[in-house]
Amino acid sequence: MRPSTIKYYLKEGLSGLRKNLLMTMASIIAVMACISIMSFSYCVASNLHHILQQMEDSIGISVFIGGTPTSEEIEEMKTQISKIDHVLEVRYISPGDALEELKADWGAEEDIFEGLDETNNPLSHSFQITLDEIESQDSVLQALKGIDGIDNIRHGQTETELIMKANKVFNIAGFLVMLILGVISVMIIMNTIRISVVNRRVEINIMKYVGATDWFIRWPFIIEGVIIGVVGALLPLIIGIPIYAKIISALYNYFPVIKIIQFRLVGDIFIVLFPVALAFGILLGTIGSVTSIRKHLRV
Amino acid sequence: MIWLNNVTKTYPNGSRGVENLNLHIEKGDFVFIVGSSGSGKSTLIKLLLKELEPTTGDIIINRVKTNELSSNQIPYLRRNLGVVFQDFRLLPNKTVYENVAFAMRVIEAPNRIIRRNVPAVLALVGLGKKGRSYPNQLSGGEQQRTALARAIVNNPPILICDEPTGNLDPETAWGIMQLLDDINKRGTTIVMATHARDIVDDMQKRVVTLKQGNIARDIKKGGYCDEA
Ligand SMILES: Nc1ncnc2c1ncn2[C@@H]1O[C@H](COP(=O)(O)OP(=O)(O)OP(=O)(O)O)[C@@H](O)[C@H]1O
Ligand SMILES: [Mg+2]
Repeated sequence: MRPSTIKYYLKEGLSGLRKNLLMTMASIIAVMACISIMSFSYCVASNLHHILQQMEDSIGISVFIGGTPTSEEIEEMKTQISKIDHVLEVRYISPGDALEELKADWGAEEDIFEGLDETNNPLSHSFQITLDEIESQDSVLQALKGIDGIDNIRHGQTETELIMKANKVFNIAGFLVMLILGVISVMIIMNTIRISVVNRRVEINIMKYVGATDWFIRWPFIIEGVIIGVVGALLPLIIGIPIYAKIISALYNYFPVIKIIQFRLVGDIFIVLFPVALAFGILLGTIGSVTSIRKHLRV
Repeated sequence: MIWLNNVTKTYPNGSRGVENLNLHIEKGDFVFIVGSSGSGKSTLIKLLLKELEPTTGDIIINRVKTNELSSNQIPYLRRNLGVVFQDFRLLPNKTVYENVAFAMRVIEAPNRIIRRNVPAVLALVGLGKKGRSYPNQLSGGEQQRTALARAIVNNPPILICDEPTGNLDPETAWGIMQLLDDINKRGTTIVMATHARDIVDDMQKRVVTLKQGNIARDIKKGGYCDEA
């Protein structure tokens, strides 16, 4: 393809959009709505995931052993637990270690543990288990129940389950809204291109008489759709970056407690969102124009 | 250059366009297609342009059986055929220059060649100074000259005209005929459907007379025929 031909397609595509400004704007707004929902969903989902990951590091699962097991029994249980899928690390904590940790946690008030030593330590032998991903907590718990000698299991299941459920519901809702808006966008784009084709009937006719190929005639209309998609994708992103940054800093400011968790950085979010939104916008535009061309452009 | 072998075109509604046409047009010919209204002139022109498919029979242009061409080969057939209509069919929002250049752009001619050929062909049709005008600023004759320039700018070996003088007064029509004669003398084969008796009589070219879709008369050099 000659550079002059590409220039021609772009020029014709743009002029087609200009002559049909109202429909062009409607199409762009529809794509913007779709991309905005997609971006919003991604921001929320990605932050929830990020927060869950931070919790994974701190939560884990604690397993307590009843009675006084021998060191062979402890070694045996440790290997059994290590073999469970998604278990990253198993750390044995003796009652003595547990007591030390407890004292450290209580700091200045450690004297309430005065008088407790190896002989009368009421604490149990335990394992601290770290998982590779929090989503697999359920299956690990199930597997742990099958191991003999385990007295008690403690974990942060309820909190994580809640966040995971919220995440899932939110993802599904976001996806559905995005799908509906996507279909609406494609329909509006189709109509825009149809009008553009009708506007150019005479021109298309002459092009055919002088021997333009079918693709030469089609390209400007595809370009129109692509331009709608690109503009409709870029605008919400450009507007979205400062808004995201503002919201994050507002959350930090108004709820200082939140500082223990970290939100995702603007750069991390948009380095993913940019190409995905752009590709999705172009996809919407192309689907809209190609279906419209197939229906209305008899070349 | 152009062969029609037993070509019949019946329209989907059953009306007859042309019937059993056999016609041979040689390279460099200037052929008038005449006949009363409804005799099939436009049908024949559309068959040549492959705007219509023959119901039966073969059409051969430049050694290619056009009725067997696939749709993506049609554009390359059309590049051999310049075409001029009664109603000019210019793009109103483009200048004369752009209207002519358009025909070169859409077949992806290089800009360099466009800049060279468009002024030359505008000069040839006598519109050397009108390049910047828009069609609605031109007389009918000038508009038809623009259409003619557009038809020949890619140098097609064949020029096909359907009543090119139909909308013009006799004097202006005569100017267009002079131009067509010049173009023909440079080697372009011309097929022209017309009602214009005076023109046909004056030009003394080959005349094919159609009557109800058949060829009623075909003379090498002559005038309009009334009986047909
Ligand atoms: N699209 C069409 N559908 C059905 N019948 C058609 C169509 N076009 C032309 N016809 C019929 O075919 C016959 C030939 O028409 P054609 O247009 O070729 O005549 P013509 O010689 O060009 O006439 P004119 O001098 O009036 O332009 C006529 O009987 C006409 O009614
Ligand atoms: Mg006619």
